[in-house]
Amino acid sequence: MDRRDFFRLVGTTSGGIVTGACGRRSREILPLLVPEREIVLGEEQWRPAVCQQCCAGCGIIVRLMEGERIVETPQGKARERIAVVKKIEGNPLDPVSGGRLCARGQAAVQSLYHPDRLRQPMRRTGRRGEARFEPVSWEEAIAGAAALIEKAAADPARILWLGPPLAGTRSFTVAAFLTALGAPAASTIGLGDFTVEREAAELAFGWRGLPVYEIQDADVVLSIGADFLGGWISPVFYSRRFGQMRQGRPGRRGRLIHAESRFSLTAGAADEWLPVRPGGEQALALALGHVLAAEKLVRDEPAVRRLLESFAAADFEAAVELAGLPSSRTARVARALAGAERAVVLAGASIVQTNSLEAVVTANLLNWLLGAVGRAGGVLPPPEPPDPALEHTRPRFDNFLSRLEAAQLVLLDGVNPAYALPSSVPLLEKAPAVVSFTPFLDDSAVYADWILPDHAWLEKESVLVPPVSPMPAMNGSAALVQPLHGTRPLEQILVELAKRLDKNIEADSAGRAFERAFALRKPAGEWETAAEFRDFCLRQGGWWESAGPQMPAKAPPEPPPFTPAEFTGDPAEFPLHFLPYPSVQFGEGSGAHLPWLQQLPDPVSSAMWGLPVEVDTGTARRLGLATGDIVRVVSPQGAIEAPVYVNPAGLPGVVAMACGQGHSHYTRYASGRGANPLALAAPAVSRGCGVFAFGATRVRLEKTGRRGGLIQFSFMDREPAIERR
Amino acid sequence: MEERRTRTPRWAMAIDLDRCTGCEACVVACHAENNLPLSTPEEAAKGRAVHWIRVDRYWEGEFPDIRLKYMPVLCQHCEHAPCEPVCPVYATYHTADGLNAQVYNRCIGTRYCANNCPYSVRFFNFFEPVWPAPLSLGLNPDVAIRPGGVMEKCTFCVQRIKRARREASLEGRPLRDGDVQPACAQSCPAEAIVFGDLADPDSEVSRRAGSARSTRLLEDLGTEPKVFYLSRLSSR
Amino acid sequence: MDRTADSTPVLGPERVARREQIFADLLGPLESVGRRWVLAATVSAAFVAWAAFAWAWQLLHGIGVAGIRRPVFWGFYIVNFVFWIGISHAGTLISAILRLTGATWRKPVTRAAEAITVFALMIGAMFPIIHLGQAWKFYWLIPYPNERLIWPNFRSPLLWDVTAIFTYLSASFLYLYLPLIPDLALLAGRSHGLRRRLYCLLSLGWRGSSREWHALEHAMKLMAAVILAVAVSVHTVVSWDFAMAITPTWHSTIFGPYFVAGAIFSGIAALVIVMAALRRFLGFHNYLLPVHFDNLGKLLLLMSLVWTYFTVAEYLTIWYGKQPAEYVILQERVYGSYAPYFWAMVALNFVLPFLLLGIRRWRTIGSVTLCGFTVLAGMWIERYLIVVSTLSRPRLASAWGSYSPSWVEISITAGTFAGIVLLYLVFSKLFPVIAVWEYEDVSGRPL
Ligand SMILES: Nc1nc2c(c(=O)[nH]1)N[C@H]1C(S)=C(S)[C@@H](COP(=O)(O)OP(=O)(O)OC[C@H]3O[C@@H](n4cnc5c(=O)[nH]c(N)nc54)[C@H](O)[C@@H]3O)O[C@H]1N2
Ligand SMILES: Nc1nc2c(c(=O)[nH]1)N[C@H]1C(S)=C(S)[C@@H](COP(=O)(O)OP(=O)(O)OC[C@H]3O[C@@H](n4cnc5c(=O)[nH]c(N)nc54)[C@H](O)[C@@H]3O)O[C@H]1N2
Ligand code: SF4
Ligand code: SF4
Ligand code: SF4
Ligand code: SF4
Ligand code: SF4
Repeated sequence: MDRRDFFRLVGTTSGGIVTGACGRRSREILPLLVPEREIVLGEEQWRPAVCQQCCAGCGIIVRLMEGERIVETPQGKARERIAVVKKIEGNPLDPVSGGRLCARGQAAVQSLYHPDRLRQPMRRTGRRGEARFEPVSWEEAIAGAAALIEKAAADPARILWLGPPLAGTRSFTVAAFLTALGAPAASTIGLGDFTVEREAAELAFGWRGLPVYEIQDADVVLSIGADFLGGWISPVFYSRRFGQMRQGRPGRRGRLIHAESRFSLTAGAADEWLPVRPGGEQALALALGHVLAAEKLVRDEPAVRRLLESFAAADFEAAVELAGLPSSRTARVARALAGAERAVVLAGASIVQTNSLEAVVTANLLNWLLGAVGRAGGVLPPPEPPDPALEHTRPRFDNFLSRLEAAQLVLLDGVNPAYALPSSVPLLEKAPAVVSFTPFLDDSAVYADWILPDHAWLEKESVLVPPVSPMPAMNGSAALVQPLHGTRPLEQILVELAKRLDKNIEADSAGRAFERAFALRKPAGEWETAAEFRDFCLRQGGWWESAGPQMPAKAPPEPPPFTPAEFTGDPAEFPLHFLPYPSVQFGEGSGAHLPWLQQLPDPVSSAMWGLPVEVDTGTARRLGLATGDIVRVVSPQGAIEAPVYVNPAGLPGVVAMACGQGHSHYTRYASGRGANPLALAAPAVSRGCGVFAFGATRVRLEKTGRRGGLIQFSFMDREPAIERR
Repeated sequence: MEERRTRTPRWAMAIDLDRCTGCEACVVACHAENNLPLSTPEEAAKGRAVHWIRVDRYWEGEFPDIRLKYMPVLCQHCEHAPCEPVCPVYATYHTADGLNAQVYNRCIGTRYCANNCPYSVRFFNFFEPVWPAPLSLGLNPDVAIRPGGVMEKCTFCVQRIKRARREASLEGRPLRDGDVQPACAQSCPAEAIVFGDLADPDSEVSRRAGSARSTRLLEDLGTEPKVFYLSRLSSR
Repeated sequence: MDRTADSTPVLGPERVARREQIFADLLGPLESVGRRWVLAATVSAAFVAWAAFAWAWQLLHGIGVAGIRRPVFWGFYIVNFVFWIGISHAGTLISAILRLTGATWRKPVTRAAEAITVFALMIGAMFPIIHLGQAWKFYWLIPYPNERLIWPNFRSPLLWDVTAIFTYLSASFLYLYLPLIPDLALLAGRSHGLRRRLYCLLSLGWRGSSREWHALEHAMKLMAAVILAVAVSVHTVVSWDFAMAITPTWHSTIFGPYFVAGAIFSGIAALVIVMAALRRFLGFHNYLLPVHFDNLGKLLLLMSLVWTYFTVAEYLTIWYGKQPAEYVILQERVYGSYAPYFWAMVALNFVLPFLLLGIRRWRTIGSVTLCGFTVLAGMWIERYLIVVSTLSRPRLASAWGSYSPSWVEISITAGTFAGIVLLYLVFSKLFPVIAVWEYEDVSGRPL
C-alpha cells in the first residue's frame, strides 16, 4: 500500500487530523513486520509505533531501511540483510505528539542500537551489586528464575513487581502473570506516575486521571509548580499547545506566567516568572484566590460561593510572605487572570514537596473561580480510558519501600529503584531473590540474581494509553524490526515462566488490545469486524476517538487547609534548600545511557557529559564559589561532589541539581559519571499520597578547593556588554 | 521537466523565538538525521563537540527579573556567505537554490571557512568518527559520513530537499510548500521552525520572513542570512 | 677590484699571504668538523627527528592530536607559519636593500642572511601543510592541469599564499645561489673527490670571465630588485590570510604594512643572532665587526619603532571605536586572559630594544644579540596573539573558547627551531657562509 492509499483510508475516518498531516510530508506507513525480502535497497518505509522513552506515550513513526547484521553460521560469519530503524519522528495522526517529538524520543534509536544492551540472559556469579554475571541460555535462565518465583509463590503477597507507570499491553500481561501467581498488582517507584496530580484532580474536580489543560486556547496561563515544557507528564503535547497559544492564533497572543522555585524551561519561556519559595506554591495559590475573592474579581456564582468565602478568609499577607513574593506583584497576577477572557491555572509538582498535594489542589481550585473548569481555554477532564482493563493494570505508586523491605521476590521491569531511591539499595541487597527484565545492566540490575533481558521496545509490539490526551487514545503497533540480539519480549518470558509454574497465561498483543477496544467502544466507522478495525489501528499507529462525552466535574470542595512544607535538616546546619529535578535530557535518569543525550548541552548550564549543582549568585559569592569549582553537597542523608554552576536565576538559598548522572552502572556512557542528586534526598513523603518528596531536603555546601569536571558547550552565558564612555 | 524548472527555489527558514522553549529536540533530531559524529567527554571538554544546530542561551537581567534568551543557531545559508570565497578548493560553495553546500571529499581541512563564518556554525572532524557497533546501524544512508580532517555543518537537510523533489517529480507535480521539512523543523514540539521557499511569496516562510517581528542574525555584516528570527515578544 | 681573467696580475708576497689568510678564515670551517659541531648537530637532529615523529603521529591519528578546537581552528601551526615567513625577510630583503643601496658593510652579512631566508621559507612553507586536516591532499592547492578539470579557487587568499610563497622560495633560492657560483668554482678547484664533483656540478662551469662576471652582476642586481618586490608582497599576502577575513580585528587595512614591518623586524633579529653565532663559533671576528652589529642594531631599533607605531595605531583605533566584536578581543589581550602575552610582547619588542639599542653606550654586540632574541620571542607572541586571541572570541559569545597546544604542536614547533640550526650547521660545512669573492679575487689561476 502506498502513502496516498494510506491517507485516503485514514482520511475517510478521522478527518480533521489527517488534513493537517497530509500537507506535511509524504511517507509510507506499512502494516506488518517487514519480511527481509521486502526490504528494497535505498527505499524508506515509515511505520508507526509508540515512544516509550518516558511515560507520555507519544505516537511515533519510524523510518526503516535496509541494514546488515553479522550472524554466525556453520560456515562462519555471514552478513544478513535486516530492516533497521534509521529515524524516529512523531506520528502526525497522534493527538499527543501531533507529529513532533522531544529530544529523548529522538534518541530512542540509540537505545535500540546501544552497544551495551544486554544480549542474552545472565546469572549472577559475584556478590549482589558486584556486577559479575555469566551469560546463560534461555533454558537455564527461565528455569533459574522460575525456581525463585516458585519459592516466593508460597507467600505471594510478598512478591513485588516494579514497573514503569504505563498502561498498555505490557502492564496487561504483567497483571495476568501476577494474578496467576496470586501476587499483588504491579507497583511503580513514584517517578513518572504523577500521583500527586492524579490525587489532586480527584480532590479538586472529582476526576479520575490527569486533567487536560487547554492552554492553546487560553489568553493567560498561570502555571504553578509544573515544568510542563520540560519534564512534566507530556512535554511534547504541552509544548505544541504552548506554541499554538503564543503564535498560533493571528492577533491573539497568550501570556504565560509561571511560578516555580527553579528557573525551568517553562520559566524561561514564560512572560513572567514568579520565583516562589520551595514549598510556597500553596501559599501563592491561596494568596491569588484571596485577591480574586476579596477584590470581587470573579463572578459570585452559587457553585463557587463557598470556595470564594474560604479564599476570602485566607491571610493574604502571611501567604505572600510564605510564597516569598511581593504582595503587589501577586495581586497584579491575580488581576491579570481575572481580566483575561480565558484564563487557566495549570497546576502540578515537578519537584514534590511534603505539601504538594495541598498545593496542587489549591491551585486547581483557582480554575473554579476563573470559570475555567470544563470550558475551552480552561481545564478539561481526562478522557475516559479507552480500555478500563488496560488502565486498571497500570503500575501504581504505593509506598514500595515498605513492600520492598518485606519482599521475598523482587521483579524489576525497566525501573531503576537503586538510582531513583538510593535508600532502596540495602533492601535490594538483602532481598531473598531479585530478577530483572531490564535490557540494560543498570544500578538495580546489578542486584539481580537473574537477568532475563527484554527486547528493546522498538523490537516488540505494544499498545500504550497516553496519560494525557484530549480524547480517548491508544498508541501502538506491531513490532517494527527483528530482534538484534538474543533477547526475548517480556510478555513471552512471562508466559514461559508461568508455564514452568504450571500456570497458563496469555501474552497480550497490540492486535488483541485493538480488538478489545473495538468490542468495548464500538467505534463509528466503516469497519465491519474487529479484525478490520485492528488492522486499521495497527497501520495508523493507534486509535483516537473523536471526543467522547465529558466526565462531569463534581462541585468544588473547600480548599485544603493551609499546610506549610516541611524540610529535613536543621536550618542551622543545613542552611540551603535542595531541589533535585528531572532533566530535559535524562528525565529522572533513565536517558543517561544515550550518547546523544549525554552530549546535549543542558538548557540552563550548557553542561555536557555531566551535570552541575546550580548555586544562586548570592550563595556563591558568600561561599566564594565560581562556576567550575567542585563542591561537596551535604544533606542529613549523605553527600555528593559535583561542579558548581552559578545560576543567575537561582533563588537565594536554593540549590538545584538536575537528575540523570551518578549511575553506578548504566552502560559505558553513564556508569560512574557525575553524582546522583537523589542520593541526598531525605525519605520524606508528600502528605496525603505518600509520594517521595524529593524537594524536602536541606543541604549545606562545602568548598573542596578543587576545580574541574564541568564541560560546557558555551561557557559565556551573557552577551558581552561594552560600555561607551 | 522544463516547466518545473521555471522557478529556482530559495530555501530559507524562519524560527519563531516566541514559540521556542529551548527544549533542544531540534538538536537531537539533527544528530539523528545527519550522522553527526559522537563526541566523547574528553573531546567535548576540548570544545570539539559537534552540533549543527545549537540553542544559544544568554541571561538577561538580574534575579528576580531575569530572562533566558534562547536562540537556535544553525548555518544561516548566507546569500553572501563569507565562508565561501576563502575556501581554496571550492569545497564550500553556493548552490543554485541558495544553499551553502559543503563537499566533504573535496575539503582538505584548512579550516579557513570556519574562521570566516561569523556565526561559528562550522564544525571540524578532528578525528575519524566512530560509532561503536551496533550504533552504526542507525546511520542515515542518505547522508555521507564525514572522514577525519574535513569541515562539516548544517546542510538544510539537503537530502530531504532532494527526496522531496524526487517524490514530487515522480508524481509529476511541482514541489508544494511544506513538502520539505528539515529534521530540526520537523521535530520541534513548539512548531517554532518553518522551512520553505523564499522565492515563493505565498510560502509560510515568506510570510513569516515578512513579519514585523522578523530579524536576522548579525544582519549588519551584509551576509544576507536566510534564517529569519521572529523576535520574542514580552508582555508583563 | 679588477676581475678580468685575462689580465693576470702578479701578486706580491704580502697579497699572497693575505689571500691565504682569507681563504683559511672563510674556507677553513668547511674542512673540519669539531666536537662542538657534532654535539650541536646531534642535539638539533634529535629534536628534528622527534618533530618528525610527532608529525607522523598526527598523520596517523588525525589532526585532533593537536590542540586546535572550535573556535580556535588555527593554532601553533599558523603562528609558526607566519613567524617563519617573517623570519625569511631577514635575509633577502636586508641584503637586497643593502646591495641596491651599495652599503659596503653588508659584505659579510649578505650570504648569512640569504641562507636564513631560504631555510626559514622551507620551514615556514611546511606549516600550512602540517596544519591541514588532510595533509596528504596538499597538492590540491596547486593549480595543476588534471583530467577532472578541477582547479583551486583563486579567490581564496590561501591560493595567493601558495602562489606567493612558491614564487618567493624560488626567487630567494636563486638569490642565494647566484652569488654562490664564484665561490663554488673556487671550492671546486680546492677540493677533491665527491666534494669536487659536487662543487663542479653546482658552479655550472663558471670560469670567471669578465662576461660571466658582468652577467652575474646584472643578474644579482635584477634579483635584488625582484626579491624586494616579492618579499614585500609575500608578507602582505600572508597578512591578507587574516585581513581578507571578516573576522573581528583581522579585517584591518593596516595588516599588509604591519606584517611586512613585523617581518623585517623579526628578520633582522634572526640575522643578528646568526651573525653573533658565526662570529662566536666560526671565529669570524675579523669579518663581522662591531660596526656591523652597531648598524644592524640601529636598523633593529628603527624597525622596533616602526612596529610600535603600527601596533599603537592598530590598538588605538580599536579601543577608540569600541566596536563590540573587536573591543572584546582587545580587552582580552590588554587586560584579559591574554594580557601576560600582550605585555610580554610590548616589553620584548619595544621596551627592551628601545633601551638597549636606543642608548648608544648600551648598544654592544652582546646587547644587540640579546635584542635579537627578545624580538624573536616578542614577534612570535605577536603572531600568537593575532591568531589565537582573535579566534577565541568570535562574534557570537556562545561560541567563545580557548586553546592550548598539545605535545605534538610543541614538538613540531621546537623541531623547526632545531631544524634551522641543523640546516645552518650543514650549510656552514658545505658552503662558505661569508662570500669569499667579496673579499678576494677568486677568479684567477690556482695558487
Ligand atoms: N558503486 C559504484 N561504483 C562506481 C560507480 C557507481 O556508480 N557506483 N561509478 C563508476 C564511475 S562511472 C566512475 S567515473 C568512478 C568514479 O570513481 P572515483 O574517480 O574514485 O570518484 P569519486 O569517488 O567521485 O572521487 C575521486 C576522489 O577524488 C578526490 N578529489 C576531489 N577533488 C580533487 C582534486 O582536486 N584533486 C585530486 N587529486 N583529487 C580530488 C575525492 O576526494 C575522491 O577521493 O566510479 C565507478 N565506480
Ligand atoms: N552527484 C553526482 N553526479 C554525478 C556523478 C557523481 O559522482 N555525483 N558522477 C558522474 C559520472 S562520473 C557519471 S559516469 C555519470 C553516470 O551517469 P549515468 O550515465 O546516468 O549512469 P547510471 O546512473 O549508471 O545510469 C545509466 C542507465 O543505464 C541503464 N543501463 C544499464 N545497462 C544498460 C544497457 O545495457 N543498455 C542501456 N540502454 N541502458 C542500460 C541503467 O539502468 C541506468 O538507467 O554520473 C555523473 N553524475
Ligand atoms: S515526551 Fe518525548 S520521551 Fe516522552 S513519549 Fe513523548 S517523545 Fe517519547
Ligand atoms: S525544538 Fe523548537 S522549541 Fe525546542 S529548542 Fe529547537 S526550536 Fe526551540
Ligand atoms: S552561516 Fe557561516 S557557514 Fe553558513 S553560509 Fe553563512 S558564513 Fe557560511
Ligand atoms: S576547511 Fe575545507 S571547506 Fe573549509 S576552507 Fe578549508 S578546504 Fe574549504
Ligand atoms: S536543517 Fe537539517 S542539517 Fe540543518 S540544523 Fe536542521 S536538521 Fe540539522
